Amino acid sequence: MEDYMRRFVVVLLLIFTSSFVFSNGQQDAAGSSPKSVSGEFNWRQCEGETIVTCFPNHVTYNALMPLIPEFEELTGIKVEVDLLQYMKMHDKQVLEMSKPSGDYDLISMVCMWKSEYAAAGMLKELEPFFNDPSLAYPDYDFDDLVPAYVENTGYVGGKKIYLGGPGAKLYGVPFGAETSILIYRKDIFDKYNLKVPETYDEVLETAKFIYENVDGMYGMTSRGASGHQANAAYLLHASPFGARVFDENWEPVVNSPESIKTLEWMKKMFSYGPPGMTSFAQDGEFQAFLQGDVAMYLDASVFAGKARDPKQSKVYDKLGYAMHPKQENRLSESGGFGLAIPANASHPEAAFLFLQWITSKETERKVIENGGAPFRTSSVNDPILQDEYPEFKALALQLPHVNPDWRPIIPEWGEIDNIMGIAVNQVLTGEKEPQEAMDGIMAPIREIMVRAGYIK
Amino acid sequence: MKRNKSPYLFALPAIAVLLLVMVVPVVSGIRLSFFEWFLRDIRKEPVFVGLRNFIDLFGSENFQTSIRVTLVFTISVVCLELFVGLVLALLLEDGLPGLRFFRTVFILPVMIAPVVVGVIWKFLYNPSYGKINYFLSVLGLKEVGWLSDPHMALISIIITDIWQWTPFVFLLLLAGLQGIPSDLSDAARVDGANYLQNLIHIKLPCISGVIGITAVLRLIDAFRGLVVMFIMTNGGPGVSTEILSLHLYKTAFTDQRLGKASAVAVILLGIITLLSIIFITKNMKDET
Repeated sequence: MEDYMRRFVVVLLLIFTSSFVFSNGQQDAAGSSPKSVSGEFNWRQCEGETIVTCFPNHVTYNALMPLIPEFEELTGIKVEVDLLQYMKMHDKQVLEMSKPSGDYDLISMVCMWKSEYAAAGMLKELEPFFNDPSLAYPDYDFDDLVPAYVENTGYVGGKKIYLGGPGAKLYGVPFGAETSILIYRKDIFDKYNLKVPETYDEVLETAKFIYENVDGMYGMTSRGASGHQANAAYLLHASPFGARVFDENWEPVVNSPESIKTLEWMKKMFSYGPPGMTSFAQDGEFQAFLQGDVAMYLDASVFAGKARDPKQSKVYDKLGYAMHPKQENRLSESGGFGLAIPANASHPEAAFLFLQWITSKETERKVIENGGAPFRTSSVNDPILQDEYPEFKALALQLPHVNPDWRPIIPEWGEIDNIMGIAVNQVLTGEKEPQEAMDGIMAPIREIMVRAGYIK
Repeated sequence: MKRNKSPYLFALPAIAVLLLVMVVPVVSGIRLSFFEWFLRDIRKEPVFVGLRNFIDLFGSENFQTSIRVTLVFTISVVCLELFVGLVLALLLEDGLPGLRFFRTVFILPVMIAPVVVGVIWKFLYNPSYGKINYFLSVLGLKEVGWLSDPHMALISIIITDIWQWTPFVFLLLLAGLQGIPSDLSDAARVDGANYLQNLIHIKLPCISGVIGITAVLRLIDAFRGLVVMFIMTNGGPGVSTEILSLHLYKTAFTDQRLGKASAVAVILLGIITLLSIIFITKNMKDET
């Protein structure tokens, strides 16, 4: 008995002492190399640290993933990626950022959430980082980032809480940002001598023609699933129709004549589309086009990278690109993802280095080659790139028409988005008439705005 | 003789843990239903609002639809599963060759993780590429929008649930049937009873207890159903498949209203408790 006891105590002591030896392995080696003041930028200033990121399983981020080892080699920082479906990131991010010290050092946020996150104090402002000479990469060229994308994914607190302008603070930089363009099947259009639609009426006529005359093909693909997906589709078209969610006094105007016109256009559109579109989320929308079932796509521009990838698309060599069609105007959506640093990040400097590296000119080129979307004005307007990636031409023409105010992404937007999305879906499935559905949600939306203090 | 108190002392730690792990969260959840607490303001204190959450819920069209959907789903699923499970159990009682094989095959669905069931059936129901619509088109029938038609979506989910959980009912009822003493049915046969009379007057009354328990188990489970709905339709089209648990999830994480979500949870708890009490007392009355 005594023997066992003694051996037990010895083993315990061994474990105890060895834990001291190994416990210092995670300490930051912040002083390992001096920070340069001039000349070469010191990428290795956070060497030895590990950062955890939260990214969506989405086109541009999928293009980034194979490049991350290059960053790890350059900086000596280890990167762990939490890859989630893009809408599901929200809950995880909120929970992590609400803790005293969170696990995430860098997050990708859907631009819809930026006001919510910033207003709750969950994000670090990025200006101080950019103004820090030891941390800011001199060749970054911030002004080259597409201004509409920067405003949409990064600025909070300007003209309206989700817009730039006086008083706005920078909380994010665009990566995976997008606007909307029209992608169509050039082969079908050439075969049937169809004109590329410029207006919403022309889109409808073309869709009808294809549905009725082209065997096995449908007009246009769209999202339609109840909730956020249906509302994204609705607002995309509402902007050119001149329909808004709120007026200047934050009163809801979702039952306006313009809104009803938009919904009626959508209903007709859906009747020429593939079956089951009213349950499509974004991936269902993508798949219908990638499988060659539909002739037109009008939604996020980042899809182009997927559509022209032979590994993912059956129609990669049959594509044409055009601007978002016109109704009252041709204001296109602005959306997608921005990179931000949580306020409770454990390694904010390392995260900032990663943020800069991801959105630098060099990495952008490689991301584009992997099928990601461009986000720098120089790339979109580069004639060589425009030749190689024809959607850049359409993008370059579209960017001046991007509408940063197409969607009121206030902190309370999640709830309103869901209410509207349910109603839009009910209209598209025929469960309710457009006026009835939209009248029915006026009161719940107004109640949210009153409770949140926008309407006195 | 003095009662020995030591058993209670020995049980005390276990009871304390049980109280901590079960009672405390439930009580704090009930308490939260009287407050308003936004997910994005999780670091601030909840605000007391009294019964406002409950008043809002009962006045909300979507919540009323959710209750209706839950009741329709639960009652349909329990009744149909009991019926199909009973038929299967009676068929596979004994006397047929290859019985073991059939029993094994029929049990398989309940062993698959619910998430996988949801994904498999979502593919089966796919309007363009799914097997079900393919077979319908081969037979010359019109293809159905299983998950996109607001009138069909709930039916599709009910079908999936029946596929998944009937084996569970079947297992329990089979065990019940095999527990019936054989001399009862022998005596009935001697008295000239045919199969149907044997079934109605001997077998069913003998297993009525088992049927009751199975019904309660399925009822409680179906009421809390979430995974399959979440994967297949996410509550759509509209809110036609938004069962209460899903409505709760969306109130908590999409609308970000934790207090209101707790109110939904309280209502859900109340309904399940009420139904369980009704069933169990009815069952106990039958037993005596």
